[in-house]
Amino acid sequence: MKPREIKKLLIANRGEIALRIIRSARVLGIRTVAVYSDSDARSVHVAAADEAISIGPAEAAKSYLSIDAIIAAARQSGADAIHPGYGFLSERPEFARAAGEAGIIFVGPRPEVMAALGDKVAARRIAIGAGVPVVPGIETGAIAEAREFGARAGYPLLVKAAGGGGGRGMRGVESAAHLEGAIEAASREAHAAFGDGRVFIEKYLARPRHVEVQILGDEHGRVVAMGERECSVQRRHQKIIEESPAPGVSQSACAAMADAALKLAGACGYTNAGTVEFLIDGENFYFLEVNARLQVEHPITEIRFGCDLVAEQLRIAAGEHVSEPRPPRGSALECRVYAEDAEQGFRPAAGSVLDLKAPAGPGVRFDTHLARGTEIGTHYDGLLGKLICWGGNREEARRRALGALDELMILGITNTAGFLRDVIASEPFQRADLSTRFVDEFFARWHPDDRTLDAALIAAVLATTGAFGIKRDGERAGAIDAARRGAPRSPWAELRGFELWRPR
Amino acid sequence: MKLRRAGDRREFEAELIGSEGGRIRVLVDGREIAAGFEQLPDGGALLAAGPRRVRVFAARRNSSIVVAVGPNTFEFALVEDAARRHSRGLAAPNITAPMPGKVLKVLVKAGDRVEPAEPLVVIEAMKMETAIAAESPAIVNRVRVSEGQIVDHGDVLIELSPVPDSLAPESDSPQS
Repeated sequence: MKPREIKKLLIANRGEIALRIIRSARVLGIRTVAVYSDSDARSVHVAAADEAISIGPAEAAKSYLSIDAIIAAARQSGADAIHPGYGFLSERPEFARAAGEAGIIFVGPRPEVMAALGDKVAARRIAIGAGVPVVPGIETGAIAEAREFGARAGYPLLVKAAGGGGGRGMRGVESAAHLEGAIEAASREAHAAFGDGRVFIEKYLARPRHVEVQILGDEHGRVVAMGERECSVQRRHQKIIEESPAPGVSQSACAAMADAALKLAGACGYTNAGTVEFLIDGENFYFLEVNARLQVEHPITEIRFGCDLVAEQLRIAAGEHVSEPRPPRGSALECRVYAEDAEQGFRPAAGSVLDLKAPAGPGVRFDTHLARGTEIGTHYDGLLGKLICWGGNREEARRRALGALDELMILGITNTAGFLRDVIASEPFQRADLSTRFVDEFFARWHPDDRTLDAALIAAVLATTGAFGIKRDGERAGAIDAARRGAPRSPWAELRGFELWRPR
Repeated sequence: MKLRRAGDRREFEAELIGSEGGRIRVLVDGREIAAGFEQLPDGGALLAAGPRRVRVFAARRNSSIVVAVGPNTFEFALVEDAARRHSRGLAAPNITAPMPGKVLKVLVKAGDRVEPAEPLVVIEAMKMETAIAAESPAIVNRVRVSEGQIVDHGDVLIELSPVPDSLAPESDSPQS
């Protein structure tokens, strides 16, 4: 039954996720409209869509975050639906509302559900009402109540922003003496980040694991859970490695979390794709928050369950019934490659892709918008690609990921692939000694090993001799020639007779 | 040559000291590393040191060199201060012609000790004289050209060898 049909879909996003959504739409025979800022005019997602509309300058606030610009683009193109992707406007109820008012289907939950879940205190209340365990805490940052709670529950505590997540407006509190200052600092930060200074307080869990449940709900009152994802390996409170199933978590605990997620979704009338996040502390699990959108890490669920979550989202948005999930198979692992310097506290990096080798092979998926020449600036999130590997079990998936990372090469942009490889190869990761402190505990001072550095130095020396970028017939590539002409004179730049790349 | 890694305070001294039959010898901070080096048709190369083989890719970008060793990324800046080079490293085993031209003057002979920036050969090209200077302290091993000779880009003009340790200046300690 199709109460309404989606014929043309506008993707209100960029990067790998825009490309990902376009691919699913194509399978369903839906035409696609890309939107782009000035700095993305020549990007891969724009070329991949059937149509593309410019929505403003590089600054996200005036393009990808502009509800007016995107609704105008949807009207102009005659799109009958909008997929928000993740990030940007994906969790903004006013965006979903504006789409509805323009007679355009929003691929996501209803705006009032998004509003209720976007407020972390309100979401916590919904969870409590549905009988889902929450971390012990109070719903206010009022100092008197906070003091009383600290005395009762014991320190450390965690002050969190009510208006949003992502680690902003969050402060740990070691003792009563630091409580007031932490509340003020968190509130200030929350106000700056979300325009909402409200905070609430929870007991601080020392070494929790982050595990989440994928849900899909339709308009006919049915919600299904599609397994869990373990997302504990994080930096700056943001995930970098995810896997499914969660290693070392009992089947009964996973079933209990899935059950809690379904109860919560039922309590708020959830529709479309969403994720219910939990913290696991020892034998207990606690509700953390709901992400009312498609998650970055959704592919690990897709390859375990043999489904296409974006296609499911589009079918549900068209009023169809949610599909019955297939039984999951094996184990899946995703690692996110970011344009960041893992040796410098994950500082953002920029540059253009000079060369690119993507991994391939059975059980390997690399979702990326990179191509040779792609420019990575600092306007947007620095996600370069997501490597997703499948295995019959966790160890096989892990080994496959190692091999795939060895195949991956992105020349020109400092990125986290080498760091991820060392993490996945490490003994703590292999034995799944996971917690949200994993990176701090085991990889706080990571550097590539000395032999890798030696190889890099050798390659650098050889690069100055022109040993790279020589065509097979020995003719110099134009770009290299130009680079050499512009480079300061080096004795090696002149060593033309020095054909070390060709045995004599 | 001296390289500084982006985000790293250390400076690395790395020099190519030999190449024969697909094998190279490189001096990295005084350690000699011998490795197999084979160019691949995809623009990269295979570097084999001991049992380990890695794919390496590198390119110059503006004043820096970007490198990928498997999934690892590196960015190096060339530290151009040749005068500060330590005497144990020889910047170039050969002095080559930077452009086609005529040799006007040869200023050194075999056995001479030369210092960084010291002119060795003067070449005339496009009606301009260009002095070719030493990059690091060295001993002239052999002079391969004579005055009046026409040379092509890349022709070897002078062969150098490192200064023996006993001749190296004591006070030449790198500043940090």
